[in-house]
Amino acid sequence: MNDIHDDRLAVYEIGYLIISSVPEDQVGAETDKVKKIIVDSGAEVIAEEMPHREHLAYTMRRKTVAGSYEKYEEAYFGWVKFEVSSLKVEAVKNAVSLIPTVLRMLLITTVRENTYLGKRAAEVVANLTLKRPVIKGVDAAPIEKKDAAPATIEEMDKSIDEMVKEV
Amino acid sequence: MKKQCYFSQHNIKFIDYKDTEILRKFLNPHGRILSRKRTGIAAKYQRQLATAVKRARFMGLLPFVAS
Repeated sequence: MNDIHDDRLAVYEIGYLIISSVPEDQVGAETDKVKKIIVDSGAEVIAEEMPHREHLAYTMRRKTVAGSYEKYEEAYFGWVKFEVSSLKVEAVKNAVSLIPTVLRMLLITTVRENTYLGKRAAEVVANLTLKRPVIKGVDAAPIEKKDAAPATIEEMDKSIDEMVKEV
Repeated sequence: MKKQCYFSQHNIKFIDYKDTEILRKFLNPHGRILSRKRTGIAAKYQRQLATAVKRARFMGLLPFVAS
């Protein structure tokens, strides 16, 4: 029988969210915990970004041991790109997700080359034209509604009469 | 003929879920992914875009539903 889990090196990336209740000066220590798990598995770190405080797009909930829910509006987002054996990556994933300060994590397969544009994204976005543009974007300002004068009953009756005449 | 695909034009081979500034341009006001008819990008990149948006949503970088 063929073993589908053959041992080969692959490039992975772990993105993680550290809870906002961790003080700013202790975020580095939490990052080291994540990195230690990765390095201890025999991985080679290719690139990384230190966690920075980010306002989340929606409120994340996490169940506590007591059964209540903790809500998070903000978190520290960081990522690490590394190369490791495909047999060991599952253990790395489980270990990182078990860190109590890690709110959420995402493991993806990626490539060795840099895929993150970062600050360059602003220039790239500047000359973006869609084939059929949407009038209003997600971050676009809301369209102001012009105040239309309220129609009186006489005016409405008149316009209905005109429409009936035309028919 | 001029290339329509935005990613091919800018020599972007992989769409990263962390580049939310770019991803936002391909969402409608409700936070839904625009169709290929609107974006005009190649099928290969449209698939990559959809994956990247879904990853960014999971990590709380983009909304599932924008109000």
